[in-house]
Amino acid sequence: MPGDSASGATLHTIVAVMSFLACLTLGAVLTLSRLAADWTEGLSGSVTVQLLPSPQISPEDQMKEALRLVQQWPGIFAAKPLGRAEAEKLLEPWLGEGNVIGDLPVPQLIEVTLTPGKPVELEGLGKALADGVPGAHLDDHKRWNEELASFAASSEAVGWAVLLLIGVATLAIVIYATQAGLQAHREIVEVVHMIGARDVFIASEFQRHFLWLGLRGGLIGLTLAIATLLGSSFFVDSREAPVGAQYMPQFVTAPQHYIWLFFVPVVIGLIAMYTARFTVLRVLGRMP
Amino acid sequence: MVRFENVGMRYGLGPEILRDVSFTLEPGSFHLLTGPSGAGKTSLLKLIYLAERPSRGAIWMFDREIATTPREELPALRRRIGVVFQDFRLLDHLTVFENVALPRRVMNELESSYRAEVEELLSWVGLGNRLNAKPATLSGGEKQRVAIARAVVAKPELLLADEPTGNVDPDIGGRIMRLFIELNKLGTSVLIATHDQRIMERVPAQRLFRLAEGRLTTANAADAVLAEAKRA
Ligand SMILES: Nc1ncnc2c1ncn2[C@@H]1O[C@H](COP(=O)(O)OP(=O)(O)OP(=O)(O)O)[C@@H](O)[C@H]1O
Ligand SMILES: [Mg+2]
Repeated sequence: MPGDSASGATLHTIVAVMSFLACLTLGAVLTLSRLAADWTEGLSGSVTVQLLPSPQISPEDQMKEALRLVQQWPGIFAAKPLGRAEAEKLLEPWLGEGNVIGDLPVPQLIEVTLTPGKPVELEGLGKALADGVPGAHLDDHKRWNEELASFAASSEAVGWAVLLLIGVATLAIVIYATQAGLQAHREIVEVVHMIGARDVFIASEFQRHFLWLGLRGGLIGLTLAIATLLGSSFFVDSREAPVGAQYMPQFVTAPQHYIWLFFVPVVIGLIAMYTARFTVLRVLGRMP
Repeated sequence: MVRFENVGMRYGLGPEILRDVSFTLEPGSFHLLTGPSGAGKTSLLKLIYLAERPSRGAIWMFDREIATTPREELPALRRRIGVVFQDFRLLDHLTVFENVALPRRVMNELESSYRAEVEELLSWVGLGNRLNAKPATLSGGEKQRVAIARAVVAKPELLLADEPTGNVDPDIGGRIMRLFIELNKLGTSVLIATHDQRIMERVPAQRLFRLAEGRLTTANAADAVLAEAKRA
């Protein structure tokens, strides 16, 4: 019913900005939680067997024995010895390229992949290795794993808290903006009331208007947020990969997450709509 | 049609604006409401068009006692009343046509059912060529005629007009009065609040309600006083 005015433009802007912030936060939190799940899953999907040089056994026998033990253990998907070159590569980040001294007794490594979704008795395997093969040691990445998982969990929790705050702020601002917008239309409410309109007629005119206003503003914010998310992922992709960059390409909002973002304008539209309805009915309720 | 019995009214906790107001409007009647500025003419009209509640006394509208009528039934009563507000109260974002059509729209009528009537009414008040103008672009007299057209578009049984000739020259004032008299002949009860001397001269004294210091003196009341005096 009320036309678009200067206050309408301001309202659109406010709603669009809040929608933008909410979409960005939601996108970031969803990505973060996926990342956390990936990390935890990716790490718990594999363990490593270290074979330290031992005077009691030759390196060849040590490898053979350990492989046999690991391969027959229930729940193990694959066990692959890492060659010396690969082992050196793994050490590079710590020792620097070319600094791995040739005759340094480098431990041999076996990369063990677990069958996904199958519980493995890792503690038993560790014990069997320690008992059966001198110098063998099972590293289940437990500490690293737990630290990462707790880091992921806490950053996810912070993300949800920020999302909650942004959500509450969006709610408050959309309600406030809707009420302010209605204040400008108070004269309309009064006149139409005195002409003989029923409360629900007046309320439905306003709630339709504010539903569209919320949806439009929300969609503008969503569009900007998607552009920002796509832009930042493009930026990450095109960078020279620094240390840890293997995780960075994942910091891209997954397609299924974009679907969740579409709920933001819808929710904003509904909030604006119900606020308008509630406010109009309350204002009318004070009139005879 | 309208009956007030010992009605008093105040805004909030303020002083009583109207005191012991009693009168009756019969169907098809024509009355003027006069009195100095601030006497409470607009306030009395607000009570009639159900925009304010009395602080005491009883009001009957179309044989319904207002205080005991459920709120949901008041819109139906308001639709039987047309109001020309003192300050017009046109909606600025709507065109002249939409403003006049508003009372029909709020009754959930389709535009096709009132389009021709609204256009006819607007050409009758001399605004047939301003259908799509916004109120802001109209002169005071033109706004007044839009307000009058809106008040009568739903064929009300009772027409209330608050200073309808306040903003116009005597010529247009005369035309507006002829319009009201015309509507009254067609069966609409009319109550006009005014302190326009020229209008008062055109109306017989028994049709004059005078409001002063919150009290109303009516021809009926004067008659009643007379009758009482005779009996005594
Ligand atoms: N909304 C309001 N709140 C408080 N007081 C009001 C309100 N409207 C009017 N009044 C007071 O009520 C009294 C009567 O006002 P009202 O508008 O009914 O007078 P009026 O006879 O219509 O005057 P005028 O001829 O100038 O239009 C005035 O003293 C005014 O100050
Ligand atoms: Mg007045």
